[in-house]
Amino acid sequence: MIAAALSRIGAIARKEFIHIGRDPRMLIAVLVVPVMQLLLFSYAISFDVKNVPTVVLDQDMTSASRAYLQTYRSTDFFNVKGSIDGLASIDDVFRRNLAQIAVVVPAGFGRSLARSEKAQVAVIVDGTEPNAAQLGQAYAIALNQVYGNRVLAEWGDRQGIDIAQAGRLEPRVRTWYNPERRSADFLIPGLMVVIIMIVTVQQTAVTLVRERDLGTQEQMMVSPLRLPELMIAKLLPWTFLAFVDMVVIAIVGIGFFGIPLRGSVVFLAVAAALFVFAALGMGLIISALAPSMESANIIALLIAFLPAFILSGFAFPLESIPPFLQGVSYLFPARYMIIISRGVFLKGAGFAELWPQLALLGGYSVLVVVIASVLYGRRAAR
Amino acid sequence: MNAKRIRLLIWKEFLQLRRDPLLLRLLFLMPVLQLVMMGYVVGADVKNLSTAVVDLDHSVVSRRLAASFASSGYFVITARPAEESALRPLLDRGDVKVALVIPEGTSRRLSAGGSVPVGIVVDGSDSRIASVGGGYASQLIAAFNAKLIAEQGLTVSGPGIDARVRVEFNPSLRAVNSMIPGLIATILVLSMSVIMSQAVVRERERGTLEQMFVTPISRGDYLVGKLTPYVLIGIVQMSIVAFIGRVWFQVPFNGQLWVVVLGLFLFMLTTVALGLLISLVSHTRQQAQQTVMFIMIPFMVLSGFIFPVASMPPAIVPITYLIPLRYAVDFLRGTFVKGAGVRELAVPLLAMAGFAAALLGFAVASFHKRLSD
Amino acid sequence: MPELTSASLPASRTLAPNPTAAISVRGLTKRFGSFTAVDAIDFDVARGEIFGFLGPNGSGKTTTIRMLTGAIAPQAGSVLILGDDVVSQPELVKRRIGYMSQKFSLFEDMTVDENLRFYAGVYDLPAEKFAAQRAYVLRMADLVGRENELTANLSVGWKQRLALGTATIHEPELLFLDEPTSGVDPVARRHFWDLLYELAGRGVTLFVTTHYMEEAAQCGRLAFMYAGRLIAEGSPREIRERYLRECGPLDTAGSAAKTPSIEDVFVHLVSREREEASR
Repeated sequence: MIAAALSRIGAIARKEFIHIGRDPRMLIAVLVVPVMQLLLFSYAISFDVKNVPTVVLDQDMTSASRAYLQTYRSTDFFNVKGSIDGLASIDDVFRRNLAQIAVVVPAGFGRSLARSEKAQVAVIVDGTEPNAAQLGQAYAIALNQVYGNRVLAEWGDRQGIDIAQAGRLEPRVRTWYNPERRSADFLIPGLMVVIIMIVTVQQTAVTLVRERDLGTQEQMMVSPLRLPELMIAKLLPWTFLAFVDMVVIAIVGIGFFGIPLRGSVVFLAVAAALFVFAALGMGLIISALAPSMESANIIALLIAFLPAFILSGFAFPLESIPPFLQGVSYLFPARYMIIISRGVFLKGAGFAELWPQLALLGGYSVLVVVIASVLYGRRAAR
Repeated sequence: MNAKRIRLLIWKEFLQLRRDPLLLRLLFLMPVLQLVMMGYVVGADVKNLSTAVVDLDHSVVSRRLAASFASSGYFVITARPAEESALRPLLDRGDVKVALVIPEGTSRRLSAGGSVPVGIVVDGSDSRIASVGGGYASQLIAAFNAKLIAEQGLTVSGPGIDARVRVEFNPSLRAVNSMIPGLIATILVLSMSVIMSQAVVRERERGTLEQMFVTPISRGDYLVGKLTPYVLIGIVQMSIVAFIGRVWFQVPFNGQLWVVVLGLFLFMLTTVALGLLISLVSHTRQQAQQTVMFIMIPFMVLSGFIFPVASMPPAIVPITYLIPLRYAVDFLRGTFVKGAGVRELAVPLLAMAGFAAALLGFAVASFHKRLSD
Repeated sequence: MPELTSASLPASRTLAPNPTAAISVRGLTKRFGSFTAVDAIDFDVARGEIFGFLGPNGSGKTTTIRMLTGAIAPQAGSVLILGDDVVSQPELVKRRIGYMSQKFSLFEDMTVDENLRFYAGVYDLPAEKFAAQRAYVLRMADLVGRENELTANLSVGWKQRLALGTATIHEPELLFLDEPTSGVDPVARRHFWDLLYELAGRGVTLFVTTHYMEEAAQCGRLAFMYAGRLIAEGSPREIRERYLRECGPLDTAGSAAKTPSIEDVFVHLVSREREEASR
């Protein structure tokens, strides 16, 4: 009986393959475009904040103030674009998005230092991009502390005084799994998943509806084909294609961008296959639910697209979102796959650590076939 | 062009939209749902990071240090392993994102006036958490140091820098305040381009498009009649979404209403033109769908909505200028967060106007040509 | 054997287009890239005629009709519709012609009444005129009392009649019908042709494309199109008689010679063309 089911599945799957093969535009959309996008975007995206546009206002114009401002120029973080006329220009510069940080050295800076007093400076940070702003604050504070200590130490040397140091804690930050803190390593395993998710859910969102539109559905209902078999058969060719996609993308990621692959490739491959199957199944459900092709397309885009970017854990951490949304995020297979992807690539994790996610993906795939069959069966019966 | 016929076409379009209740619900409900859902995610500030504390000193100072971390709001202490070796499995599984390691003898060495290295381990596989978490930790430690010094009554007199660092605009540094405006534009370009392209392609697929051109309806009539309902819908959509953003997320609005309206209107013309262009290169609704996605992914990635443009490699930056969403995001952040006016936002406004004009012009010209084939 | 070629077409046709005809086509050509869909065809349709335009799929029928209605522009040749050049002055022409398309040109998600109102509005019918026309169409299509039904819920026969109604709501002088009865049962088809005869009786010129040869037999004059060219033209009787004159009676497996049907003639002409093409 299994053999009969398999041969029925095989026949439908073969038909789907032929459909796909005859449509070059579709093939390009599914195979070539994702790879191109991965290449382009992996190169572009980064959370590493650097080259933050900065302006300076030197109201002192002494060699001391110039030396001080020079330290900003020599960092990676601050990208000093130029100077401004006066305090009033700061808001304007921020509003025009010309700079995000302004360093103001008031008149009397050099004099204060010469008189062995604390010299005042002001650093104004544009809070519009909180991430950059926070880092800007931290860097500014750190830079000023270091500069202040240096000035003090040099003064102490000249005076022959040993500066009594109070006991203090020195933070030593160690970054695990990604020591160079390349956000690329973090983002690209996620980007792969996002791109595949978008492409796959989109695909099947239209195949069933298309057949309904064309009327070939009737023919198939008369055959001895059972619904779950039909679902599986429809999904298989696309699963294969999308899986090939993932492989190519992974190779590109590793080859071009040097993403490390520290974990088990086999595990990743199995997870990828399940993920792709589940994502396609989501598309299938959408197509079974949607009354028309336009609504299927619109729903697919709205359900798959933004959530893939935002609710999957790709770019936005999901730790502090409301529990309700946490639950919703688990409705998207991309969520599990990103955990697996990052785990395998960066942490060297494998089955032992990530089996819960794999089990969830497996369960998801089964559920999706069941739901699609039920929905599709009900629609056909109408 | 004929005003009466255009009104007729607009009437027809609304009639057809009303007959598809799912579509209407999608048009108005979906963006709202999306804003609410996504808003929570993009607006989440990095805090409540699960943290492990390995206290090898067991002193008053070490406990105070751990407590300062716990009460900061950034870190939530979820594990207190006895040894450093216990950290590896915790971090591998992702149970803990940050770990604080206080070495043995900290209290002793501090009293002796020396410096003590305190370990902060961050999970680098999530680099946002890593960089911000590491930054918070360092800041907390610096503040702890200052408190220690003040308590010990030691002051150092001599030259130094007294830096006042302050935040202008969005002083609370709430991520929501800046992400929601960007999200508004993103949701809009997404829904407008897909709906617009589907609507036109559907008509072509059904053949009713051809039918219209043997009647006295001119191509100009048709275009205006087709675009206007969606422009109107887009305006309503935008208003609802912006309103919800204001009210639900309490996103402050510091700008002028008429400026926002102007900018959003221009952006909307751009999105509608984009949808029209997509419908012209697609023969089927499925192709239209794929094209929308092909275009939207770079919009998401390169517009500066998620990833700052300043951090992109110089070779990529010119490409970002081609993405209309970029200007919309800049513009909206400018008005909402910074209260910028027309003068300061001249660049994004002009860019959006330019895009709208160019895309619409190109779409109209192609439309004329294509349908003559 | 003498062949039935376009040289044996009506000698009364002038080289210049005929402004008094309903349709006058000279040298009409349309190419799509390297593919020539319509290859320099000429024909006239007199006012008040029922003119049938036949040909297999891909023969260029639909392209021709689209050029006649001004939907697309030809590469070469001229088209006079009711005396006006449709290429340079489409607006003049479009008010006076009607078109009923293969897909019935109705908006499925609008009601009967809404469809009527739409087309009335498109052709600028004044209110009283619309009221009168609407009543007429509903009666003619047997849809009285069903004005508020969605077009999608009508069966094919009714849809077809409604489409005829919306195509004629502005009382055009010339009506194009693109395969109007495909998918319709024979009874409905007969009824439909009754309506068409009624229209023709009122002086409306009808230009009908069709696949059904029995329908062709009901037309006043016919033209056959194959691979972009006209391979025959004339009244059904003329075509049959000319064929008999030139090719002798059809051999039908030993039985007595019978008058060939339009279908027989057409099949023969097409196979003749194919033979020529392959030589």
